Amino acid sequence: MTENGIPAVELDHVTKQFGEFTAVDDLSLSIGENTFFEDPTSGTIRLHGDDVTGLKPYRRAVNTVFQSYALFPHMTVAENVAFGLRRQKVDDAEIKRRVGETLELVQLSARGSAKPKQLSGGQQQRVALARALINHPRVLLLDEPLGALDLKLRKEMQIELKRIQQEVGITFIHVTHDQEEAMTMADSIAVMNHGRIERLGSPSEIYEDPRTPFVAGFLGASNLMHGTVSGNDVGLPNGAVIRLTDHQAARCNGHREVQIGVRPEKLSFYGRGTSENTPANRLTGVIADASFLGTSTQYLVEVPGIGQVAVVEQNLGEIHAPGEEVVVAWKPEHTFVVE
Amino acid sequence: MTTTLHEPELARLARRRAMVPYLLLLPGMAWLFAFFLVPILRLIGVSLQSGIYPNYEFTWQWDNYARLWTQYGGQVWNSLRFAFIATVICLVLAYPLAYFIAFRGGRWKNFLLVLLLMPFLMPFLLRTLSWKIILADEGLVVGTLKSIGLLGPNATLLATSVSVIAGIAYNFLPFMALPIYVSLEKLDRSLIEAATDLYARPTEAFRKVTLPLSMPGVVAGTLLTFIPAVGDYVNVLLLGSPNEFMIGNVIQSRFLNVLDYPVAAALSFTLMAVIVLMLIPYVRATGTDDLVA
Repeated sequence: MTENGIPAVELDHVTKQFGEFTAVDDLSLSIGENTFFEDPTSGTIRLHGDDVTGLKPYRRAVNTVFQSYALFPHMTVAENVAFGLRRQKVDDAEIKRRVGETLELVQLSARGSAKPKQLSGGQQQRVALARALINHPRVLLLDEPLGALDLKLRKEMQIELKRIQQEVGITFIHVTHDQEEAMTMADSIAVMNHGRIERLGSPSEIYEDPRTPFVAGFLGASNLMHGTVSGNDVGLPNGAVIRLTDHQAARCNGHREVQIGVRPEKLSFYGRGTSENTPANRLTGVIADASFLGTSTQYLVEVPGIGQVAVVEQNLGEIHAPGEEVVVAWKPEHTFVVE
Repeated sequence: MTTTLHEPELARLARRRAMVPYLLLLPGMAWLFAFFLVPILRLIGVSLQSGIYPNYEFTWQWDNYARLWTQYGGQVWNSLRFAFIATVICLVLAYPLAYFIAFRGGRWKNFLLVLLLMPFLMPFLLRTLSWKIILADEGLVVGTLKSIGLLGPNATLLATSVSVIAGIAYNFLPFMALPIYVSLEKLDRSLIEAATDLYARPTEAFRKVTLPLSMPGVVAGTLLTFIPAVGDYVNVLLLGSPNEFMIGNVIQSRFLNVLDYPVAAALSFTLMAVIVLMLIPYVRATGTDDLVA
């Protein structure tokens, strides 16, 4: 995402208010979202090191793929794609060449003379992408670009978008409410809550160590439990003791009451009698519910004093039935602390 | 809840369902037949009669049609000219007005629309008569124009083509403004945002996106203004003089004063045909059928 060490997008203490509503609150980072490009209430925005704060939209090297696509209905696909270059007074031969190239990139070469309304949703989406990409923006904003597509098409377009991004090498800022989409597509995710970034990092970093209850619940599912720390151990209300890694224990920095979490797929069932193979963190409970999901089964285990704990097990062997008493266990390194 | 339907019953249901669209169309079609088709056929019939009131005979009197050009050419020219100029004035006034209400109206939108329609609460005749006072020789407008030198010391506005055109433009302004307002109002704002995102300056975004997409409203507005304006005769009667007589005045006097029904009918029918023939290329050229769909 960087060129010569200068971040593509840099936000320096940016705040954006719409009347009473604070969309972005004192945000500083090196990649961001749509609304703060629109004349922030305070703060500075830099693209590749250049200050673009308060620049009129038609003056900045940022293009957008809109949620509704916003294709011009009175123009053909090729005219739509050429729109940005025409405004920049690029000469006709060059426009023709680049329109051809870009339509090829999004695999729509055959539909150049069609009107947008003659295309399917997925094709319209690709026109919107081509119309923005043809200008070689320094940053491409995608505002919920796949929101209007059905699940199957969305999956295809996710892969397609990623391919195109790697092909053109432009920074994509992709705004989405679909966590799965964010994890599949992004190199780096900023999870925002109430205008603030709760967590910024690679998908696996954020997933394995969400750090806040919001992120833990937003990206995937989590079992969160309250406990009391002493050293590397967390005592739970039911008397069970959960071990933390040194790294996670250090993050408690002095707090005694903490919340810890573990992802459901990190948990496994073990028999009543524990052996050396059983991981260190254990809870005993009764299966309250089992839902068969095809590749896996999701169980809800009622643990006295703690509540329900979700467990996802791959369907490799025995499927447990509700009412069965079980031990669920997981490794200390799969435990994370949230603030 | 399961009722078994036998084949004949199903077929009858399907037949009945197929009838529904025709049944729904029936009242409208009956209306058009009784109040448009029958009168127009009767109009054509009358237009080919000859004789003196009340004894007309059907004699294939094609001569009635020729009168439009030979005898009333001046009035036809006045009609087309006044209607055209008034339509242009309406367009120039109404577009910015509609644009402002649609884009900047905010919560005042409905109030502004009511203001636009307010004059219509007053009867047509009174509205037009009040223009007589506004444009009177000793009135404010003439006086002001004289004092700033735009009008000569002996010039008048009333009983000239200026007052007639002003009256027509005033009376038909809402017919122009409302369709334009509707087409601007339903315009997807993200298209304009997309245009500026693609380096269009505000003026270019207007020229390339807003204006072309509001053309259906412009075409509808010009039709709704031009067609009735060509046939209008009240504005001339109240604000003009016999010099400004339009074809509507001729038809009106032929029908009601001279009682020369055949010529009046021939003139009416020709006027209708001329308007239709003029407007077909206009609608084709603006290519709006593609946008409306």
